[in-house]
Amino acid sequence: MTAEPILIVKDLTIDLLTAHTAVRPVDSISYQLRRGETLAIVGESGSGKTVTCFAPLGLMPVGVKADVSGSVLFEGTELVGANEETLRSLRGKSIGFIFQDPMSALNPARRIGHQIAEVAELHLGITPRAAEARALDLIKMVGMSDPNARLKQYPHELSGGLRQRVMIAISIAAEPKLLVADEPTTALDVTVQAQILRLLKEIQARMDMAMVLITHDMGVVAGAADRVLVMYAGRQAEVGPTEKVLVAPRHPYTMGLIDAIPRRDDAIGSRFRGLSGLPPILGAPIKGCAFTPRCRHSVEGCGAQRPPLRTTADPAVMAACPVLNA
Amino acid sequence: MQSIKAFAKAVAALPRAAVFTIGAFILLGLFAPYITPYDPNAQNLLMAGEGPSLAHWLGADHLGRDTLSRLIAAARTSLVGVCLVLLCAHSIGIVIGTIAGYRRGWTDEVLMRVVDVGQAIPSLIVSLAVIGIFGVSYWNMILALALAWWPSSARISRAVAVNVMNKPHMEALRVLGASPLRIYFVHLFPATLGAVLVYATADAGAVALAIATLSFLGLGIQPPTPEWGQMLVDALPYLEADPRQVILPGLTLTLAVVGFNILGEAVALNRVPKPLGARLVAARRRITASWATETRS
Amino acid sequence: MLVFIAKRARNAVLLLFLASVLCFTLVVSAPGNVAILIAELRTPTATKEDIAKVEEELGLNKPLLERYGFWLQGALKGNLGISYKTGEDVGAALRSRLSVTATLVAGGAVVAFVLSLLVGFIGALWAHRMPDYIMRGIALLGASTPSFFVGALLVYAFSVNWHLLPTFGFSGPASWVLPWLTLGFLPAAVLSRVVRVGFEDAMAKPYVLTARSKGLSQTRILFRDALPNIAPTYLNALGTQIGTMVVGAVVVEPLFAWQGLGDLFLAGVRFRDFMVVQACLLVFITFFVILNVVVDIGITLTDPRLRRQRS
Repeated sequence: MTAEPILIVKDLTIDLLTAHTAVRPVDSISYQLRRGETLAIVGESGSGKTVTCFAPLGLMPVGVKADVSGSVLFEGTELVGANEETLRSLRGKSIGFIFQDPMSALNPARRIGHQIAEVAELHLGITPRAAEARALDLIKMVGMSDPNARLKQYPHELSGGLRQRVMIAISIAAEPKLLVADEPTTALDVTVQAQILRLLKEIQARMDMAMVLITHDMGVVAGAADRVLVMYAGRQAEVGPTEKVLVAPRHPYTMGLIDAIPRRDDAIGSRFRGLSGLPPILGAPIKGCAFTPRCRHSVEGCGAQRPPLRTTADPAVMAACPVLNA
Repeated sequence: MQSIKAFAKAVAALPRAAVFTIGAFILLGLFAPYITPYDPNAQNLLMAGEGPSLAHWLGADHLGRDTLSRLIAAARTSLVGVCLVLLCAHSIGIVIGTIAGYRRGWTDEVLMRVVDVGQAIPSLIVSLAVIGIFGVSYWNMILALALAWWPSSARISRAVAVNVMNKPHMEALRVLGASPLRIYFVHLFPATLGAVLVYATADAGAVALAIATLSFLGLGIQPPTPEWGQMLVDALPYLEADPRQVILPGLTLTLAVVGFNILGEAVALNRVPKPLGARLVAARRRITASWATETRS
Repeated sequence: MLVFIAKRARNAVLLLFLASVLCFTLVVSAPGNVAILIAELRTPTATKEDIAKVEEELGLNKPLLERYGFWLQGALKGNLGISYKTGEDVGAALRSRLSVTATLVAGGAVVAFVLSLLVGFIGALWAHRMPDYIMRGIALLGASTPSFFVGALLVYAFSVNWHLLPTFGFSGPASWVLPWLTLGFLPAAVLSRVVRVGFEDAMAKPYVLTARSKGLSQTRILFRDALPNIAPTYLNALGTQIGTMVVGAVVVEPLFAWQGLGDLFLAGVRFRDFMVVQACLLVFITFFVILNVVVDIGITLTDPRLRRQRS
């Protein structure tokens, strides 16, 4: 993990414009990612995790216009301001994507085999026949039984877990260098979640891919990520190696998230220790620290000026809370 | 009250072109007797086949009747016909639809199968059959079209009624002990009526087309009452000599129907997100640009 | 699949039976006495005895059920009675006119199919840009223009003005062109909107985002991902439009002075010739029922979710 980073994100700010509103779900985010490394982006729903990864690659739903500023360098190519042609040539080939809901992400009217094979055919420049063989290999690789029959099946004939395996097969079909997984286990049964996560880690190790894992589940972070980036209201709260951030959080929001995880020694029936309050509604950028209204440690002045992300007492960890890290 | 509010809200969200065309059609229809420059049925054989002039802006037909006056009077014929047909069709449709949506179960099942069959048969064939049995007359035409149109109204009413019945406050009402009659007449019926009115308006274009088609075939509005389809068929033998008398009623009818169809399209497309237009993007960017200055200060 | 087809066929036969009952009751319940009508057709000054003779002859004095059985038996053999107005054999008249209407509707269906896909695809390929707006404008106009006006315009433009195509009757294949266009124009416009809205709907679905994440081009996504998803909807709408076109023949045939089923039906309706109306209705409804079965099978074949469920 000493090589040059393959992904360098710097001061990434994204404004989303829709028919009804304008919001800024991503505000000055910076991070780097190396080959083989996994970065988890953590936050509550609506904190801008997904947009951070998808908007710079031009993957926004119809009816949403993303204004992206800052810089996203992928293997030396600047993505911010790049044309659709450039972005498309990267998607699928160099960067693979896994979506949250495997129920709706697969095309209901097409055979699974075709949906996998077309990626290989397009990006690896192989014949349709070879692509089909590759699809078969991939089906086996993601651990599905009876691969030959699976190729001819349609998504509605599979369970959620199997569909997510298909989605993984699609995302890695062209051997990308970076995999973006958006809540890959959220929509699945608890028992299946662990299997899918293990599969992802396995494949990542085998292909030496970098991975961005978007999640709100601290358990997933602990199990899969090398480093973690905690987002709150579109801003970075804390960044650092997983083992350090989870053990000794240095931002009140991270502390709250970790504190909310149920523990083995909790008395049965004890009160749930969630974060009180709700995340702010996105809109105009909030003056000062966005977490102030929910923060136990807030002092006068927190709401006045925006706290910068600073190196903490541990040089590997950065946090945006001057109150706890003075 | 509820239905008026729902209707007003829906109208406000409609494309201007549709509101303008439909508004013009309705105004012309309402005030036709006061704004026609001449008596639409007054013949003046000296004027027969005349081209446009200052006195007769759109000329006169083969019997020397003022074309403009006849076109305006035809708007009234069409408007009245459309309103009568929609009134009859939706009266049947709403009652059947709300009963199906309210009762559900086998009542719903039976009623909707009937509606299915009614919808599977093209509306023109139903109206032709009815006219073929009962004979050609104005009220038979209205009856024929109403019988052809009620199934689609029932289908929409049922969908709306089911939607209304599934709202949490309806459940609350039932738990609080509101009587079924009260639920039906005070809550379900008005809410359904409001929503169905929008669809009814969008459907008016198709009804106007059907009235014109029946009149064109000589089975609807009878001469000398001016009606667009009937004016067109009247002028058809003189197509070569005087195409204007064919084209004008056709165009007027098409224009009126276009208005209703724009409306229908707007109703159908409202739920699909579409890419933002340049003007909308610019407006939203003004908002985001103001953020930058705010944060700096 | 075969089981499914068999089931549909059984339902279709049931529907046809219902339709025959409906057609029969329609005429029986019609106001006015049929026997008087026929008797007056034979001798304008028909006496009571003349009427009784007619009733005896046609079995009109028998109980309803028996009359229905008698009528159905005849209908199955192609014997649909005798016109009250012209005294013509209705079955024979139907048979001689069937091919005209069949050719007309088939041609109209091809026009509607080709035009609607063309206009719909252009709109989808250049979505929310100039070509799309133009195509949508054309479709809007087309869906709002009555077919008799389209026909009149076409006749005026091509025959009267440019002398390019024959207007009335038959004189070689060229005389088919205008009626086909007239009949297919409105359905084409309606169907093109089905295509366009279908694409718009499909392109906003999450699986299109997945397809874009694979690096596929917009055009490829349109045809490979969206198209299979709108096919069932389109087939359904096409079936409805073909059904409508059969009735559209009522408008188009008189316009071009053609002697088809539509023309026959119209004459029947105009002169309240119940036997003709009844026979035409029976033919039309039979066609709709068969059409519905074919469309249903088509939809099942194009929608994998239905295919597995029904096979």
